[in-house]
Parts: sequence; C-alpha cells; structure tokens
Amino acid sequence: MTSDTPADRRGDRERGLLARLRRGRSTPRSRGRRRVGAAFRLLAALLLAGGAYTVFAPGLNAEDTPQLTSAAEDGRALFDVSCVTCHGRNAQGVDGRGPSLIGVGAASVEFQVGTGRMPMARQEAQAPRKPPVFTDEEIRQLGQYIQELGGGPQIPDGDLKAGGDVANGGHLFRVNCSSCHAFSGGGGALSSGKYAPSLNDSTDRQIYAAMLTGPQNMPVFGDNQLTPEQKADIIAYVQESLKTDGDPGGFFNLGRYGPVTEGVAVFLVGMVALIFASLWIAGKS
Amino acid sequence: MSTHTETKAHSAEQEPIDVHDPRLTNWDVLREGARRDDIEIVHYEPPFPVPGTKAERRLVRVVAGFFLITGLAATAFLAVYIWWPWEHEAGNGADKFYTPLLGLTLGIALLGIGFGILTWGKKLIPHEVAIQGRHDGGSPADDRKITGSTLTYMVDELGVKRRPLLGISLLAGLAPVAAVAAAPLVGGLIKNPHTNNQMFTTGWAPVEEGGTTHLIRLTHSDGTPIRPEDVSVGGQITVFPGIPGGATNKHADSPTLLIHLRADDAQLAAENNAREDKADYMWGNYIAYSKICTHAGCPASLYEQQTNRLLCPCHQSQFLITDNAQPIFGPASRRLPQLPISVDEEGFFVATSDFKETVGPDFWERP
Amino acid sequence: MKRRKKIDVAALPGKAGGEVDDRLQVATPLRALLNKVFPDHWSFLLGEIALFSFVVVLLTGVFLTFFYDPSLSHVVYDGSYAPLRGQSMTAAYATTLDISFDVRGGLIMRQMHHWGALLFMASIVVHMLRVFFTGAFRKPRELNWIIGSLLFWVGFLAGFTGYSLPDDGLSGTGLRIASAIMLSIPVVGSWLTSSIFGGEFPGEVIMGRFFIAHVLLIPGLLLALISAHLGLVFKQKHTQWPGPGRTNDNVVGERMFPRYAIKQGGFFMIVFGVIALLGGLFQINPVWLFGPYEAAVVSAASQPDWYVMFLDGSTRLMPGWEIHIPIGNGYVIPPLFWPTVALPGVLTMLPIFYPFIEARRNKDNRHHNLLQRPRDVPNRTGLGAMAIAFYLVLTLSGGNDVIADKFHISLNAMTWAGRIGLILLPPIAYYITYRICLGLQQHDREVLAHGVETGIIRRLPDGRFVEVHQPLGGTDEHGHGELEYAGWVVPKKMNRLGALGPAIKGFFVPIEKPVEAPVSPGHPPVSARTEEKEISGKR
Repeated sequence: MTSDTPADRRGDRERGLLARLRRGRSTPRSRGRRRVGAAFRLLAALLLAGGAYTVFAPGLNAEDTPQLTSAAEDGRALFDVSCVTCHGRNAQGVDGRGPSLIGVGAASVEFQVGTGRMPMARQEAQAPRKPPVFTDEEIRQLGQYIQELGGGPQIPDGDLKAGGDVANGGHLFRVNCSSCHAFSGGGGALSSGKYAPSLNDSTDRQIYAAMLTGPQNMPVFGDNQLTPEQKADIIAYVQESLKTDGDPGGFFNLGRYGPVTEGVAVFLVGMVALIFASLWIAGKS
Repeated sequence: MSTHTETKAHSAEQEPIDVHDPRLTNWDVLREGARRDDIEIVHYEPPFPVPGTKAERRLVRVVAGFFLITGLAATAFLAVYIWWPWEHEAGNGADKFYTPLLGLTLGIALLGIGFGILTWGKKLIPHEVAIQGRHDGGSPADDRKITGSTLTYMVDELGVKRRPLLGISLLAGLAPVAAVAAAPLVGGLIKNPHTNNQMFTTGWAPVEEGGTTHLIRLTHSDGTPIRPEDVSVGGQITVFPGIPGGATNKHADSPTLLIHLRADDAQLAAENNAREDKADYMWGNYIAYSKICTHAGCPASLYEQQTNRLLCPCHQSQFLITDNAQPIFGPASRRLPQLPISVDEEGFFVATSDFKETVGPDFWERP
Repeated sequence: MKRRKKIDVAALPGKAGGEVDDRLQVATPLRALLNKVFPDHWSFLLGEIALFSFVVVLLTGVFLTFFYDPSLSHVVYDGSYAPLRGQSMTAAYATTLDISFDVRGGLIMRQMHHWGALLFMASIVVHMLRVFFTGAFRKPRELNWIIGSLLFWVGFLAGFTGYSLPDDGLSGTGLRIASAIMLSIPVVGSWLTSSIFGGEFPGEVIMGRFFIAHVLLIPGLLLALISAHLGLVFKQKHTQWPGPGRTNDNVVGERMFPRYAIKQGGFFMIVFGVIALLGGLFQINPVWLFGPYEAAVVSAASQPDWYVMFLDGSTRLMPGWEIHIPIGNGYVIPPLFWPTVALPGVLTMLPIFYPFIEARRNKDNRHHNLLQRPRDVPNRTGLGAMAIAFYLVLTLSGGNDVIADKFHISLNAMTWAGRIGLILLPPIAYYITYRICLGLQQHDREVLAHGVETGIIRRLPDGRFVEVHQPLGGTDEHGHGELEYAGWVVPKKMNRLGALGPAIKGFFVPIEKPVEAPVSPGHPPVSARTEEKEISGKR
C-alpha cells in the first residue's frame, strides 16, 4: 500500500473530474478523437493549475513564512529533499504516488519515518520496517513541519508507560492487538501479502504512535477508545513483560510461533536424535 | 503369552540330553533349553575371549564412566531442584534457568544410564545369532477339527435348535438390557440444542420488562456503554451486549465488532446494505458485524482498515466489510451477520434488534 | 546365630525360585520367554519410540493430575505470574498456571508431557510408514496394522483433549473449532454438540468431561490397544528382512535375554532422556502468554498441534462450497463438513482396508514374514509417496499463515498453492517414486549380472578402455553373473563384499582394524561349540 491516509486510497475514485475523464470511457475511441481529448485535457489541466496557483499560491506563501517555527523550517527543507517526490509540494500528495499528509500529525511522521518505513524503497503491498534514514532530531523537525501544516495527532512527551499496569495491559493487548500481532507480539499475516509486523523492535513512542494514527492497514485506536492510561498499560505489557521477561520454559523458545515450530522441532530434534540412536543400537559394531 | 506352543517342537537331528547330568555346564543346559524352544544358536562370539585385555578394560571404564556421569547429573538435578531459585520473577533472572537446568541434568542422567547399558549390552555381552522356527499358518488340522467339533457339540448341548423358544426369549430379554445400559448414558448426556431457541438468539435480543422493550446497549468488556465518539475513524472496537455477564463466555456468540468507516466507505456500505434490505442497520458511518466467524466460530477480527476486509486467523476466510461482510476468500460460505445499531436518547449505542441471521458456524437445520 | 550360619547364601536364589515355581509353575513359560528370538534392525525400533514415549507421558501425566482442576468456575488469579494477576479466569487455566509457576518442577513436567505426546504421535507416523513401505502389514498381520492405524486416531483424540485442558486462549479457539466441526455433521450435528458441551458452547461441563476422557477413558483404550498390538507382535513373531539364512519360516536374531532386553532398556532410557532434554530446553505451549480463553479473543497464527495440522490445512484449502437442501425451511451441509468429518472418515477407512485391497489385487493369500524393500514394490511405494505428498501439503497448509508471514509470501497465494498442490503433487510424487524404484531395481540387477565396479581401468589391445568389474558369484560363458536377486542389499562397492551389513566397523568414524574372526550370520564358525565351552567353564 502506498497510502497512509484515506485521501490516497480513495484517490482514484474521488479525484474527480480528471481521473474520471481519463478512465471513464469504456469504448475505444478513434485516434483523432483521442488527440482532441488529449488536447482538451491538457488545456483544462493548464487552466486548472494556473487557476489554482493564482487562487492559492499567494495565500500559501503568505501563510507559510510567518507561521513556521525554525524547527519546522528545517523540517520543510528535509521534506523538500526527500519526501516531495511522492507527497508533493506542501505535502498535498501526488496522485498514484503518495497521499496527502495534511492532518496526519507529527505522530504519523514519527512512526513512519522513525521505523524507516518512509521514505519507501519501492512500491509494494506494504512498506517494511528498515533502519531509519533520518536522525531523531531530523524526524522531530519533519514532524514539526507536518504538524504545523495541518495539525493532527501528536505523541505526548514523557514516559509513555509510566504507571502502566502490566496485567490490565495484557488483557487489553489480547482483546485489541493479538488478533493481528499474535499473542507473542511476533506479528502475523494479513490478506494478499499484507502483514502485521512484529513488535520486537518497536519503541514506546512507536507503539503509541501506531495506536494513535493507525498506519497502513492497522485500525486507529484514538485516545477516545483507548485512553492514554490504557495505552500506557499496553505499552508496559509489551515492553516490560512480553519483550523483557525471559522464557521460563527453556533456552529455546522456538520463536514463540506456537505449534508450527514445535512440530518442526519434534521431528528435527526428537525424531532425528532417536533415529540416530536406533541406528547405533542396531548397528553391527 | 503364546510362546509355549513352540516347546513341543524339537530339533530333530539332535539327541535329547539329560539336563540333570552333572557333567553338563550351564551353557549346555541353556542350549538344550533353546533347542526345546526350537532355537538353534548358530553363532556365539564373546567379544573378549581372553579376560583382562586392554580393550576390554577400556570398555569397562567407558561403561562405568557413563554410570558415574548419571550419578553426577542426578545429584546435580537434586541440588538444582532444592537450591536453585525457582519462584517466578519478572525479567531475566536466575529463575529462568530453573527448568532448563532440571531438563539438562535429568536428560544427561537418563542418557548416561541409556548409553551405559547400551554399551554394556552391545560391546561386552557375547554376540550371538539364534534361529528360531516360526510355525505360523494356522493350528494343526487335528486341533482345528477338534475345536470345531467341540464348539458345534456345545451348541447342540445347549439345545437351542431343539428348544427354539429358549433362544428367542433370551434374545428378547437381553435386547432391552443392553438398552438399559445405554439409556442412562444417552439420556443423561443428551441436550436439546433448541432450548430457548438458543442457536438463533444471542445476548443482543431486546429484553421485555413490564410491557416495555429495552434495547441492549453496546458495551466495553467492563460493561461501560459506548458513545459514537469513542471510536475513531478507521477504528474498530469489540463490543459486548450490555447485560449481566454479557462479556463472559456465557454469551460466546455475542461478541461484535463495531467499526467506524470513513465517509466514502460508509456510503458504499450503506448502498450495499440497502440492496440487501438492511437500509437502517448502520448508524451514521458506524457498522457492526458479529465477530464470530460463520465458518468455524473463531473471532474474525483482523480488521484491515484500508482494504476494508475482515480476516479470520484460523482458516483465512476474508470478508468485505463494505459489502455486507460477504466472504471473498477462503472456506467461509456465509456472510457475517450484521447487528442493526442505533443511538439512544442518552447518546449511547444500542442494538435495535438481535441479529437477523444465525450467528456462528453453520449447522444442518439453519434455515 | 549358629542356625543362621547354616543358611547357604549361594543356594538361596535357587531355593526361592523353586518355591515360586511350586506355586505358580512358571519355569516352562519363563524359559520360552527368555529364549524368544527377535530380529535386529534399526527400523524395528521406531515403534518402540512410541511405546516408550507413551510410558513417559503416562508418568508425567499422573504428576499433572495432582495439581490440575478441570473446572470452568471463575476465579481471580493470584499466583506468581504478575502479568495475569488479578485477571478473572477459569480454575482450569489458573491451575495450569500454578503448575507452571507455583509447583516446584511443575513446568518441566508439563513440558515433558507435551513433548512426549508430540513424540508419541511423530513416532507412530514414522513407524507406520516403515510398516507400510516394507509390506509388514501383509497376511498374517492385517489385524495388527488395523490396530496400529486405530492407535493413531486414539492418540489424536488423547492429544486433542489434553491440548484443550489448560483452557487458554489458543486451546479455547481450538475447542471452538471442534464444536463447529461437530455442528457441521448433517442431521445430528447440533444435537451432538449440545450433548457433548452440555448446552451451548462453551457451557460449564466440557473440561470435566474432557478431563475424564483424557486421563481415564482414552488412556485405557490406548493401553488396551497397545497391549493387543504388542501381544500380536509377540504371538506372530516379528517380521525380518531377507538375507542369508533367513526364510519365511524362521526368525534370525538374538534371544530376548540378555542382549535384546538390555538394548530395549537402554533405548527406553535414551527416549526418556531425549524427552527430558526437550522438556527442559525447548519451551512448548507457553499458556501464560495466551491468557484465559475468551470468546472474543484470538491470536494471529492460531494452529493446533502438528498431528492435527493436516485437518486444519484441509479446512483452510476447502473452497466455501455450501450445499443447500431446499426442503421445508431449508437444510445446510456446511463446507466445514467435508475437510474435517468426511476426509478423516476416508483417511481412517483407506488404511484399514489397504492390506485386503492389495492382497486381492495381487491374488495373494500366502503368509509373509519376510519384508520387502520398497524398490521391489514400486506400485505400493508410489502410493505411499502419494499419501505422503497429500499429507505434507495439508500439514504445511495448516501452518500456511506462519509460512506466509515469515517468508513474505501472500497468504492468498499460499492458499492457492495448497489447493493446486494438493491435486498436482500426489500424482507427481507417485510417478517420480515409481521411476526411482525401477531405476534402483535395474541397478541391483546390473550389479548382479556384471559385478561390482572396481575402479580399475584396463586398456584393451585395440586401444579401448574398460573398467574391470568384480563378479559377485560364478559367471556363465559370457561373464555374466548367475546370482538371483534375493530381495536384499546387493553390495555395490568393493569394501562391502562379503558383508551382510556394513563391513566397516564404527558408527561415526570407521575403526580400521582387522577383524579377528570374520563373522557372518550366514556362515557360523565351525568351532563355535568348543569356544563357548571354554567361556562357560571359566564362569
């Protein structure tokens, strides 16, 4: 999925006139008519672009300059280098490439850029986690820029799992999170090549941001649905219990994948060892 | 078991020997015994004909070593069992080594005995090749004849043929006895699945109380009711009927998924709803489907907010939320039942009626 | 004191034995038992793994019953595991947690029990394959083959009921699916389900019923079947591989005591030890991560244990084909019925009838006590490969979401690969196996006819190069061997010549030393008797 917000996903359907003009006809047209159509579309696009520019550009310019803080200005510079190709000027989005980022908030930026999902390496079913391209400071600046452009959810400062109740967090985790991320937090498959990622590398802030913004196909768990205290409980459970507590049942936890790896182990370890033993027992020497 | 049938068999070519002859060694007697079991020991080779060779002593040391390892490991097991901190604590403390250490010491102790015994058996006990006759393929013809005649004669002795009433009355008497044995079991276990119409109702059925009908509220698992603003756009929440015990397994068919669709998706869902005569099932952009998969009853709750699919993690059935939760992939054949919802005067979600379709996995008499 | 000295200690065992035999008359049957001859081959030990792991599972299971409470009544957890403290859960789940955290050594017992059960099922399957591919199921052993295949299903039930007992989030999901499977049976489904669960799922009684089934009824049945299985092996005597001196009418091997019994005892300890290592070092079924079962809770990658996974796979691959019968209000046969009730029914019946089908096809009514090498029966071996391919596709599909997730494959593609693979792979497996069998047969005959390759290249007078072959026996005027294929290993390397089995001693590294007295069961040393006399004299 290329998109993180509704705007892009419905892009084709909604981006109105131009898209419909381009795709709307089902009958093949003659070359001449196509030429005329192309010329008309070009003209319309020019008019529209020009019109839009005259309408918005001065306003935007007028608004931008005074309102951006210095951090946001730095963020804007970074954006114009690394993000503008897909998300467009002023983060308005580019049809078919990247969604508008107006209103996604600093939380989204911190999650997407902080986990290395953005900038994307290529378009595929889902942006995978990879080492982040930007430093924490740069991510903060980018977030500030997007925040000041259109507002949106923000991650609160401070310890996000302070006072978290592990037991309640476990309960909430199983009701809300485990269906996709699995009981062990190791992630799981979704339909058609999409997946819920493992939580093993996630930081407190990334988990918080993911719940708040619902990146990609993850549902949104806003503060109205899971209060910040409940989010703290969940983060505490994931970070302090699921990921920190050692496995009491052995040196090898088989990836906590459950019966699949257990079944593999009983053959690869148990049966193989015992078949070797029986070869030795019945051997001639 | 069966083996003494072979004792009669005797090697023909060998003269029987008197086992009480004092000149015979144990080996001679053993060998004669084997012959009486129709066994010929054709090869017998002690691995160390000369006692006290270097190789033999080395092997003895190996076996002894295995047994001593067992002793050490078993002692270590006991020491770990008694003194190692075993009570569970958060984190990665010493208690996490308790079970592995027990397994390691126990395993080594048992493997030590195993390998010790096996080495002893394989290397120190004489190798032998013995051949035993098989004699399968049915009993001797005489015995077959005798047993057959005896059985036939027994039947005649009972005289059922001469006195048929005996047989008939015995059967007539025994058949109900068998039923008597089965009746309490079947009768005690059997339960009508349609008591209270339970297969077709859930916790969402409105409650009649003193002439008025109370609609059931959608609640969190702790019983608090839910307002529309509690679910973000693109969010979903598992809701339970707001009745006593509504979130427990007593109402295992009631968990429902309340989804806040984005405006355009909601419009599409509403259009598709209207096509299926479910025009008033949604409230605003909110839609509610049973969480219990119509295939095998797992919670089909993997909500993909961009593709608007619900995925069941047990068998990968996929349902399209915007089209009446129609199954679009996998083994499910029936759409998820939709809960008609509304908001009451206090601003909380209620179910305007029970599910109109049967919740949960399919069965024979589902209409 | 004086009187005591009169007791001759050396004569005590003999005297005691005499007293026992006076009363019980055991000397004759005991002699036969001590003398019974067993053939020796590594593949005959596979069934023992199942037997021994069953014993371990019984032992550990008894321990677990002391602490487990099969009750669905609700309690608030107050044990050592902090992340669940204060949660409401059933007594069944709470006591399972107690076994894991508050009973000293309870966790390793639980884990050994679970690993032992998995190993039990694994060795049953491997043993069954051995019996199938070597033709050990043929007359007179059809009954034992049937008992064996029933043992798989009884073990399956034992495993499933045991897996359900902890009442954790994962096993509860499994139980829910089991109830759906029962529901799917036409006509009686809903009555059956509500009778077993005592009402609507999950009800209040299921754990108690599963518990008594798991600890009494099913183990009792297993014990009875295993006894019958072993009894028949004993009565009918074990099959053996063909080879020098081995015929359809004898058993060539070792007497039961001492050597054979010692090996069995040692192997039991090895199986026990391996289970202990697995139970201690490899974490299995961490129920504390799964939480108590709640109808609304599920985890991604929900799977049953491996021996149930093939049915989970068949369920996943089944398209959503629902049969609607338009009578009255209408009746339904759900798609779930076919892969989970109909398929296991077929899979139970096919193996049971297979020995009779094969005998009929081959018009074969003889007794068979000699095993066949798989290559010599390409048709059966091909069928077996077909069955394995079918089973593997289903089992892998049972974990297809984990495979999809970890190897970054689309889940839907995995399902389709499974559907297509289930139809395509078994015939391919049959064909390939059949051809391989023929090829191996061909090679055996070739070596018998032309001899073993020596690696010596000779130049002929006309300039051609040929490799010298060592004939295995006498040759006719064309230099072709006259040996018949005997259904057993044909030596194909020079250093295998003259050996029934591997001639090189040593298991991992060859021990290169001259053999003092060449030993071959087919050619017993002539002077065996005198040698033995010396030994026994020294005792």
